[in-house]
Order: sequence, then C-alpha cells, then structure tokens
Amino acid sequence: MNLYLVKRILALIPVLFVVSVVIFLIIHITPGDPASVILGESATAQDVEALRQQLGLDLPIYQQYMNWITDVLRGDLGESYFMKESVSEAIFSHLQPTLSLAILAQIIALLIAIPLGITAALRRGTAADQTVMGFSLLGMAIPSFLLALFLILLVGVKLQWLPVAGYKPLEAGLWNHLKYLILPAVSLGAIQSALITRMTRSSMLEVLNMNYMKAARSKGVKDRQLIYKHALRNAFLPILTVIGQTFGGLVTGAVVTETIFNIPGIGQLIINSVERRDYEVIQGVVLFVTCVYVFINLIVDILYGVIDPRVRLERK
Amino acid sequence: MKASRIVRTLAIWMVAASLAGCGAQTAQTGQNEGAQPPGQGQAQPEPAKEPQAATGGELKIAYQAQPPTLDPHVTTSQASATIGRNVFETLVTADSKYHVQPMLAESWEQSEDGTTITFRLRQGVRFHNGKEMTADDVAASMNRWIQISSAGKDHFTGAVFEAKDAQTAVLTLKQPTATAMAILAYGGGNYPAIMPKELIDQADPKGVKEYVGTGPFQFKEWKQDQQIHLTKYADYQARSEAADGLAGKREARVDDIYFIFTPDSSTQVAGLLSGEFDIAADVSYDSVQQLESNPEIKVDVAPTGMLNLYFNKKKGLFANEKARQAIAAGIDAESILIAAYTQEKYYELNHNMMMYYQIGQWSSENGRESYNQNNPEKAKQLLGEAGYNGEEIVIMTSRDYEDMYNGAVAFQQQLKNLGVKSKLEVYDWPTFTELRNDENKFDILVITNTPKPEPSSLAFMRKDFPGWTNSPELDELLVKFRGAPNLEKAMSVYDDIQKWFYEYVPVVKIGDGNSISSSQKSVEGMTWLDGLILWNVSNAK
Repeated sequence: MNLYLVKRILALIPVLFVVSVVIFLIIHITPGDPASVILGESATAQDVEALRQQLGLDLPIYQQYMNWITDVLRGDLGESYFMKESVSEAIFSHLQPTLSLAILAQIIALLIAIPLGITAALRRGTAADQTVMGFSLLGMAIPSFLLALFLILLVGVKLQWLPVAGYKPLEAGLWNHLKYLILPAVSLGAIQSALITRMTRSSMLEVLNMNYMKAARSKGVKDRQLIYKHALRNAFLPILTVIGQTFGGLVTGAVVTETIFNIPGIGQLIINSVERRDYEVIQGVVLFVTCVYVFINLIVDILYGVIDPRVRLERK
Repeated sequence: MKASRIVRTLAIWMVAASLAGCGAQTAQTGQNEGAQPPGQGQAQPEPAKEPQAATGGELKIAYQAQPPTLDPHVTTSQASATIGRNVFETLVTADSKYHVQPMLAESWEQSEDGTTITFRLRQGVRFHNGKEMTADDVAASMNRWIQISSAGKDHFTGAVFEAKDAQTAVLTLKQPTATAMAILAYGGGNYPAIMPKELIDQADPKGVKEYVGTGPFQFKEWKQDQQIHLTKYADYQARSEAADGLAGKREARVDDIYFIFTPDSSTQVAGLLSGEFDIAADVSYDSVQQLESNPEIKVDVAPTGMLNLYFNKKKGLFANEKARQAIAAGIDAESILIAAYTQEKYYELNHNMMMYYQIGQWSSENGRESYNQNNPEKAKQLLGEAGYNGEEIVIMTSRDYEDMYNGAVAFQQQLKNLGVKSKLEVYDWPTFTELRNDENKFDILVITNTPKPEPSSLAFMRKDFPGWTNSPELDELLVKFRGAPNLEKAMSVYDDIQKWFYEYVPVVKIGDGNSISSSQKSVEGMTWLDGLILWNVSNAK
C-alpha cells in the first residue's frame, strides 16, 4: 500500500512540470501585463515599458521561466504584483472560504441526491421516479448563476432572511460564518446534486437486481438494512467517483458563484488575477489546483480500497 | 407520462414566477427619486449646507473596481483616487466651479515671470501617525509626484520643490506654466498627495509601503479582493471655510467607511435594495428603473467621461485629415450616445473639448457647427477625396466598460451606412491597453476619456498616447497656452485650441456621459467632484 502511495505521488511530478510550462507560456504570450494594469487608464506606453523593466518582465521568456521554476522548487511561489502578500499567503487565505463553501455545498448535494436517488431506484417507473428525474434534468440544465440570482432575489431581497453577498470567516462565529455561505452553497449544491442523483439511481438499480439482494431478502433481512448495508454499500463506488470529481471542481473554486456572492475564494482569486495579469498568482494557483485534483483522485482511489475489500485484495 | 407533464408544467411556472417577480418591481412607477438632469448644473452642487444630521455609524459602499494601489503617485486609476483621497490631501484643491482653493497650503504666490510659486503651508497639520507636516514632507512628496506621475512628467518636467523653511515650500519651474495651479488642484486619478518624507524615501516602484496621510479618514485595513476599511481620524484639523466641491471644511461624519468590492452589478443592486449596502457606486444603466421605483433609494447622476473616437494618425486611412473630417461629418452622435448611456438624462451633447460641468471655465463657441453634423452625404464625399477604396477598417474597444462597448457597436452600424467596411475587435482591458499602443492593430479606438482639470492634459493632446497626435500647429498653441503667465491669459488661447480641434480632428467627440450612483435615503450630504466625495456625508441609519 505504501509503495502504491509513493508511486502515485511521484507520478505527480511530470504532471506538474508539463502544467507549469503550459500555463507559463499561455499567460506570458497573452497580450496585456501587470504593468499597464498597475499604472491605470491614462498611462503612456513609455511609463508602462519602464515599469515592465523594473518588474523584470522584459527578460527573455525562458529566463523568466527559469527564475520562476527554480524558486518554486525551493518552495517559493513568488509574490503578487497587486496584493501585499506572497502567492502562498494569497492561496492560503483564499482557501478557507472556498473550502467551507465546497464542504457545505457537497453536504447539501449529498443530502438531496442520495435519498432522492435511492427513492427513484426503489420506486422505479412510478410518478416519484419521474419527478426525481425531472428535477435532476432541471438541475443539470439550469446555469449556476441563474439559480444564484434567483435565490438572491427571493431570499435576500424579498424575504430578507439571509444576506445577499459577502463573507465572514469562522473566527466571527459559526452562525455568522454559515449564514453568508448558505445561499451560494444551495445554488452550487442543488446543481451538483443533479448528477449525483442520477448516478445513485442507476448504480442502485444495478445492485438491486443482483442475486445476492434476493437472497438477503429471502433470508429475512429488514428493508432498511437491505437498502443501506447491502445495496448502497455495493452501489457506492461509481457514486464515489462522481463525488470526487465534483468535489475537486468545488474546491478549485466555483468562479461564477464566488463572483456573484462576493466570496473571496480561490475562484475569485484566479479570476481577479487573470483580469489583472497577476502572473505569479495565476501560475501559483494553477499549480496548486493541479495538486488538489491529483490528491483528490488519489484519495478516491484509497477510499475504493477501504469500501470494497475486493479492490484491497486485488492490490495485494 | 402524467408525472413528466406535471414536472414540465412546474418548471414553466417556476420560470414564469421568477420573471413575474422581476416585472412586478419595475411596474411600480412610484416617485422618480433624485435623478438630477445633468445640464442644469446639478453635478456642480452649491456649497453643501451644514446638515444637522447626527454623526457616527458607518458607510458601506459597494464599489465595482478594486484599485491596484492607494498610492496616487503611481497610478492614474480613478478608483484609487476616489478611495484614497479620504486619506490623503493635496496642497490645493478645486471647488465646485473648479477654482483653485487652499487645502494643505494656506496661501501661494506666483512670481512675475511665472517660474516660481511659493507655498505657505498650514501650521499644526498632523499625519495619521502623529508626525507634524512640514515643508520637507511636501518637497519629498511633490518631487516624487513630478518624477513618476503622468501629469508631473507632462507638465512639470525639470520642476523642483524645495523646502525653504518648515512652513514654506517653493516650486521652481523650468518655464512658466499657466496651468500649474489647476493641475495641482486636481482631485482625480494621479493626484499629488502629500505623504510623510520617510514613507516616500522607502517607496519602491509598486508604491509606498504604508498609507499615511492627513485626511479626515485614516487607512485601517485592506482585505484583498474584499474590502478597504477606513476609520475616522479623530485629530483631523478641518479648514474653516464652508464646504464647496473638494474645498473647504471636510468632516468625517461617520466612524467607518467600507469600500466593498462587488464586481457583479446585480449583486450591487440587490445589496442596496436589501439594505446591506448604503451606497452603490457606478451601477449599470439597466438597474436604474428598479432603483428609482423604490422609495427608500435615491439615484444620483455624475459625469463620468467623454466618449471619443480615436484615430490612428500614424498609419492607415486616418493619417489623412480629410478621412477624419469625413467621419466627423457623417456620424449621428445622439444615436451613439443613446446606445452607450441608454437614456437622455445620462448623456449630454456637448461640442466643447472639456466636459459640460467645466463649461464655466473652459468653453468656446468654435466648432459648434462641426459637432454632430450627421451629414452622410458630406461624409461620403470627403471619404472619396481622402482616397477611401473600400478597405476594411478596424475598430477596437473593450468590453469591460459598457459605454465604450455599446457605443462602438452603434458606431460600427453608422459606418456601414456611410459605406465604410469595418471590423469590430473587442478585448478585455489589459489586452486592450497593450494592443492600442501598436499602430498596426487598429484604425479607430472607441474610448471614454476621464475629464481633466485643464485642456492640455487631455489624453489626445499627447504625442505618445494611442492616436499619436502630431501637429505643429498644436505644438505652437500649447506653448502659448502653457507659457502664458497666468490662467486668465491661458484661457484666451482656449478658443484657438478648440478651433484646431475641429480642423485637425485628433478624435471625434461623441458626447459627455454620466454614471449613476445610488444610495439609501438615510445617507445625506453626498456630492461629487472627480469622484464621489465621502466626507461631510452622514448616515442616519
């Protein structure tokens, strides 16, 4: 098992290398750079050129890349051109909101999706099943910003139950922290739940038809145990894959949702940095996001082993 | 079968309900709150009366653009100026009629030949860190501003500030500069703030390391991409004159100001309506109806800039003056302005090079007949004379400013009617600012120019600004203008400059645009001059 882990982590290195080269090239080749953004609307070409030289942006591109990558290998992701902090600090401070939002959204998604999926599978072909599938289709079709704006209008403006936008960190109190995250988490979670519902339903259907289910029922196993211990646990692997993928997307920042609700998370960080051409931050965040995705995949693989003994044995 | 029909109907009802919800709000006409028509000088308010409103509380302002830095010497960003000038002050400042008034300087004297200006500074003014302001701080700040700011480099080349004694700073100019005081009084982007000498000495190209000024508010905290928090400076020494524009008494009537960065305009509006924000700066034109129909909300209009068509005069069709005059003759300015600003009360047809609220100081009858001619026949004829052969011309603009973009789309349509083939290229702001420096990349730019304190600072006067104005006649006029011994004499040259403007056509002026700010009824005393003015503003909430 340990060898397996080590091999997987080592495989990360070539991935990161390729990603670093690609992202560096893309943003340096794109027109626009931080100098013109710092100097503002009325700056002249001369001023921009002068600042560019001071920031080291006029060096040949491979040299800039070497300077950056050697720093990264030493653990220094660089410094932001705009924020008075290092890239690592920026990523870390923007991570908490995104993490909170991702976890809350994922919980909401699972709370909606798993029961609905199971119900749909158990009552296959009935009105309940059709309704659940209908909502799932709606959820996959609605763009996230539409649901977000709708929630803001209804809950934030008309009913005034929850704040419209903004963010308070955990230090400000649990309820304070959560109340700013509920609307964005619902709009994200509702949409995530659509796919998970479908996955749950089809996976359950497959398992419910298995012979061992009939055998268990004829042995007299109670319904609840049948569903959760026997069926769901066997059906869970594909569902877990989907959860892993969607969680990866949530953690790396739901850009649109964060922008609408003014949540200073990773998504907003990357969008603002791209708009400002804050090169160091963009590069750092992309590397970070790559690591996150790889690690999530790794964890999902390990969980496979935990949940399904057959996988564990295969690996031995 | 039946169930899926139920689902479908449900879905349709949900969508219909949400649309009906939006519609219900706009259907209420209600009173039309405070949308002041620009032409009646509402943007130049009379000196604010001293309201009896209570002090204390806070102002939460939803602001769209986050400035790159609050150091005004480094950046021309208007967002930086609007936020930063609560913290920093200047030697002199402008009143609502754009006359130069004292601020940190008590008085000043210009020498006979116009090359020396002696400033006598106020006594006992303290920086937020407790240090008393002296001429050393003024000299350090102003010399840095002269060296690195756009206005400093353009108009004050070779000029030097020296501290004669603790209370006196002397500016020595290389040549007489009539417009010097007007430029020093400017409160918009790149304004000459006074900061402590130690911070100036330690600054790097990105800006000063700490924000310490003399203003009624002090800098508390900047949570990147979230908000900037300013607090009241308890030891602020206000001037005694009545407040008028940026001049006179400045009082911090609230204890805290929060500039909350809301990039999404619908969030801005939703937050204002739900009471979370007290002020929403620069709301999008589409939201105005929703705001005006709400009795708890006030809507205010303020000048934002001049919509201009910039010609590439270095290369291509428009290096030829006739081609530029052709465009000037052919376009219908009003249609473009309606596209850009959506309603009549948000724009002004103004033939002057400067904006409508500056007409008291800078105006001329010259060129009136050449503005907004709307004469396609004449245009086509001039195009023929200029040798236009049906080539495709490239129009470039940025999507990040809705007035520029919508104006460009309308303009392209008009070009089609003039028989000119064109391609519209739209970029995000950083890409746009880079590409517009390349004479091979465009023929016409559609840009909104921020207003400037005096005409020679306008962007299209500069040889190095995209467009590349190169006119010996202008050079002569500018020497006469700037070299005039004082502002009065300079103003008489303005007539000639405007005449040149309509003959050479460096840009085609479409018109003046306004932006919209909105606030809760409880917010009182807010005015505008080159940005929102947030001192003397109280929040009764």
